[in-house]
Amino acid sequence: MNLSELIHEFILALIEPGILVGSIGTVSFINIANSTFSLGLVFTCISLLYFALNADFIAAAQLLVYVGAINVLIVFAVMITDQSVSSDSEKRGIGYFTALGACSILFLTIVCIFHKINDFYSSSIHQSEYLKLNLFEKNDVQNIGYQLLNKFLVPFELASLLLLVALVGAINPARDEDEGKDIAENKKKSFVSSTSPRDKSSFF
Amino acid sequence: MNDINSFLSRLNSTINFSTILPEIILIVGLITIVITDLVNKGKNAIFLYKIFLISTLVSMGILFYQLISVIAFEDLYTNNIFNNLFRFFILICSFISVLLSVDYVLCSKISLAEFPLFKISAGLGGMILSCATNLITIYVSLEFLALSSCFLSGYTKRDIRSNEASMKFLLMSGASSSSLLYGFSLLYGFSDGQVQLDNIIDKISFSQYLPIICISAAFILAGTAFKLSLFPFHQWTPDVYEGSPTRVVAFFSVTSKVAALSLFTRLFRLIFPYLSNEWHIVVELLAISSMILGNLIAVTQRSFKRMLAYSSISQIGYVMIGILAADLENGYASMLTYTFIYIFMNLGTFARITPFSLRTGTNNIRDYAGLYMKDPVLTFSLVLCLLSLGGIPPLSGFFGKHYLFWHGWKAGLYISVTVALVTSVISIYYYLKIIKLMLTKTTNLVDTLKTYEKQKSLVSSVISTKLKSSVEMAMILCALASTLSGLFMDPIIKITRNTFF
Repeated sequence: MNLSELIHEFILALIEPGILVGSIGTVSFINIANSTFSLGLVFTCISLLYFALNADFIAAAQLLVYVGAINVLIVFAVMITDQSVSSDSEKRGIGYFTALGACSILFLTIVCIFHKINDFYSSSIHQSEYLKLNLFEKNDVQNIGYQLLNKFLVPFELASLLLLVALVGAINPARDEDEGKDIAENKKKSFVSSTSPRDKSSFF
Repeated sequence: MNDINSFLSRLNSTINFSTILPEIILIVGLITIVITDLVNKGKNAIFLYKIFLISTLVSMGILFYQLISVIAFEDLYTNNIFNNLFRFFILICSFISVLLSVDYVLCSKISLAEFPLFKISAGLGGMILSCATNLITIYVSLEFLALSSCFLSGYTKRDIRSNEASMKFLLMSGASSSSLLYGFSLLYGFSDGQVQLDNIIDKISFSQYLPIICISAAFILAGTAFKLSLFPFHQWTPDVYEGSPTRVVAFFSVTSKVAALSLFTRLFRLIFPYLSNEWHIVVELLAISSMILGNLIAVTQRSFKRMLAYSSISQIGYVMIGILAADLENGYASMLTYTFIYIFMNLGTFARITPFSLRTGTNNIRDYAGLYMKDPVLTFSLVLCLLSLGGIPPLSGFFGKHYLFWHGWKAGLYISVTVALVTSVISIYYYLKIIKLMLTKTTNLVDTLKTYEKQKSLVSSVISTKLKSSVEMAMILCALASTLSGLFMDPIIKITRNTFF
């Protein structure tokens, strides 16, 4: 192995235990706040993995979206809810063993598939074809930007409008209506003389 | 400056802006609404509705002009007659539903600027969905439509049923669009990275990957059948329709169904032509069960809105026969004509429920008893629309159904057409039940109707007559359309004929 492959292996050897430790921590911490932080560790390590695999746009998107938005949201939700420390039960019923069996079968299936794909792609014919694709010469981000503004212009602009509508729609039910309460009280006074069926229904 | 010039010239060569001009006008209207609301600080809200109306009308005018002179345009979406007709339908839906909701402005206690905003955005999403041929554009516009409809249905946030309706709608539409996306991802992967629908068909080899294509078809069917509320995916419809405000239900009962119809037709026609036997059988099954289920359960309903929800499930079952019966000489003519008539019938019925529920505050069918004595105009127009929904001649619903079933029988769908005929008769029962209730003079009136005041207005009389007239205008428009369209059936069929692609 030459130097670059050695460095590559070294970096991967650093990142993968991070993912393992983070995911085990997410599942087995009793305090939920700890488990959300270890989820953040998992997402960060996956993003570093994308960097190591030379997909810089996806790595940046993973950092921004998963760590910066989704994980922060989960942390907010966890911090707001009042969580008492749950007691852990040592008893491992039948559900535990069924889940253990299913997950191990799934894991073995995935490992087998990866081995088969590895054998398939490491044969010389496919390697030369793969090298012909010249994937490493184009700049990832530039390519994506070019496509976004030329081929996918309509969905791009539509997604920006979608963000606007989503923002307005998210704030709309959540905001406090002070004027609404005053108008409601005034109308209630004028409705004293009105008929009873109108009070039955809420709003049509 | 050089960069910007070259960028603009390259942009002009790739995208011909005149083809998406109607959508651009709607976007301009949307931004104008937001800005005027910010500037006016919540006063003078009728102006916002006027902006909405003007932008819809202008965009309809431009679309009409485009319908006459078909402009060819590649890449992002194509402008054949099928797509343009659907865009036109959605604009009609938006226009009429704006007329319905103008009185919302002064009678509600909730802030008002977001309502036209969401309606325009839902109309915009529907329009772009009608002509998208790109997997990404389809998904983004579908999500746009679903999200705006969800916000609309949760608009009256003080009402618990409205909150429940929007929660159900959001969760279920999220689940179904994720299954749609999975189907798309299978197509994307196996066609070597192509996103355009035409390129997918070219690159994917049907013989080699047949099981994958079947799986992808199943997922896409699940995703689109949700929006159409076909049989197993219809569970959200009654609850959402009952909980949302009536004007909102009027709007998205037609808009999202029309947009979903165009999506369904385009996807299944373009991508899975080799599978046409398989998916024909499945869709036929779904259509038969939706018709049976919708009509049978609608008989037992006590709330008007819920009954209309189940009846709209069965109407979509009829329209599915039109999709299955498409052939070379007629195209999708039967489906398009029935959709056109369905828009007016459905919006007309909702246009009459809205003022009734506003004046009496109830949606129970029993409370409609003896309405003939109190408000003959409302009664008469409601009778016309309900009879048209049922399919009684000489109203246009009859002509639409007649053409649909004749087309289906000619295409060999004997079971579906028989089931459709039987269930149409059942549907006439529950429509006539309401009509009989309204027209009979009962000796002891129901409590709610004793206090029915026709001229009820919450604000000064000048504005109230103007508002009343807009809803009345919508009512009269829909009533006329649903009666007289039957007479203009031939020109409508001739326009919708050349739509096979």
